[in-house]
Amino acid sequence: MPILSVQELQTRYTDNGPDILKGITFEVEKDDFFAIIGPSGAGKSTLIRCINRLVEPTSGTIIFIEREITKLSKSQLRRARRDIGMIFQEFNLINRMGVMDNVLSGRLGYTGNLRTLFRSFRRSDIDQALFLLEKVELSDHVHKRVDELSGGQRQRVGIARALMQNPKMLLLDEPTSALDPKISRDIMRLVKNMAEEFGVPCLCNIHDVALATEFCNKIIGLKEGVTMFSGPTEQLDRNKLNAIYAMEEL
Amino acid sequence: MELHHQIQQQAEQVIFLRKRRKIILGSGTLIFLLISAWCINATVIQDTDWQRMGSFADMLRSIGRYIGIDFSLFSQLLEPALETLLIAFLGTSIGVLFCLPVIWFGARNITPVGNASYLVARLMMTISRSVHEIVWALFFVAVVGLGAMGGIFAVAFRSVGFIAKMSAEAIENIDSRPVEAIQATGAGTFQVLRFAILPQVLPQIISVIMFEWEINIRRSAVLGLVGAGGLGLVFFRQMNTFNYHGVTSVIIMILGIILLGEMASHAIRRRLL
Repeated sequence: MPILSVQELQTRYTDNGPDILKGITFEVEKDDFFAIIGPSGAGKSTLIRCINRLVEPTSGTIIFIEREITKLSKSQLRRARRDIGMIFQEFNLINRMGVMDNVLSGRLGYTGNLRTLFRSFRRSDIDQALFLLEKVELSDHVHKRVDELSGGQRQRVGIARALMQNPKMLLLDEPTSALDPKISRDIMRLVKNMAEEFGVPCLCNIHDVALATEFCNKIIGLKEGVTMFSGPTEQLDRNKLNAIYAMEEL
Repeated sequence: MELHHQIQQQAEQVIFLRKRRKIILGSGTLIFLLISAWCINATVIQDTDWQRMGSFADMLRSIGRYIGIDFSLFSQLLEPALETLLIAFLGTSIGVLFCLPVIWFGARNITPVGNASYLVARLMMTISRSVHEIVWALFFVAVVGLGAMGGIFAVAFRSVGFIAKMSAEAIENIDSRPVEAIQATGAGTFQVLRFAILPQVLPQIISVIMFEWEINIRRSAVLGLVGAGGLGLVFFRQMNTFNYHGVTSVIIMILGIILLGEMASHAIRRRLL
């Protein structure tokens, strides 16, 4: 039984607009590190945002642990989102808040409005946040504001925030695009280690094919919203890459 | 030959356009002068009590009456001055409370029921700002009677427009990426407001509130003219008793507290932004 099963997913942003995704199908298993590759404009970001409905799909099904995501009501969707951690290209942290509050915000789905108002998180949440900050090697930065941190450190905060949800799956939207090559590799390794340690499958947008083949066991290649390749990393060869990135080769 | 002809045609067009511009400019100036003349006739020439103004020397004498300070009055001014500051403080605070729903409804990206709530909020902002504080005060003095309370409500209602408009615009201009991230954790609408939106706009909103408070000191200083407490009331009394030096004292006092408020607001806002 796959954790996530996406069938014939289609999306367009406006009623008469072009289809951004033209029927995408794939499955993510329990121990997958699943990469979505493709040139910019291929629909990678849209695809990953459809999974937790930050973007509403037009048709198709998304089944996440026996829940049909596309049919959930607002409150059901919020409950489903608690189980899906997300890590972003630009980190998407709250800059005027501290490292702790940013990590703790991963627990908002489990926190009442009154506690949210006064930012008074449970003791167990604070303990878990400190534990995760230790895991991502930010123990020395607990009391800082996130705008004092470097790019790599900010992304570690983002990773800790996502893990704070005790997610059953992680979505990663170009987690390394804003980082230099060395830090990118460090971040990918950290995510992979964390995912293995906590037993969380990952679905990761990434335009850097080298990183994708190094860290991911399965790959789906998109071009203009169409699947050009889907399968284990070993099967991705030069010809298939050319098909995905045809426009860029010319 | 062909080219020559074309240039001729273009030249005529250019001359026509320049002539037209001159005619528009000329008639515009003429209309402006006519309206001015009409205004001067209606408001200055016919509406001024020339008899009472007297000669130029009389006018100077009228101004002269205000030169001089009634020092004995200052001890009696401290309480109304404090009252003026308190009217401004309470009025601004209550105004901020009134603002909260207006901001929520009036920021396009968070307004709860789309266009309807947005328009209601915008309408309230416009009403608040287009009614003058003196008019608000007259209204509330009629409702709650003479005294500071009317002034407080006048200031509060007059403040909603500006604070809400600036705050709603700040919310419309936020970075939407943290919003997306907080939504992705499974947070509800209120939690998104509290964690992703409020931290981004709070310094701006506090700055706007401080600025409005500073303006409200000015406003509450004159509200006494219509019986809504504070320094204005003393000002009115001095005028009525022809104590012109006392009027000057009150004006100095008003200037003093306005400067005080301005310095305080400036210092706080500089630390915020």
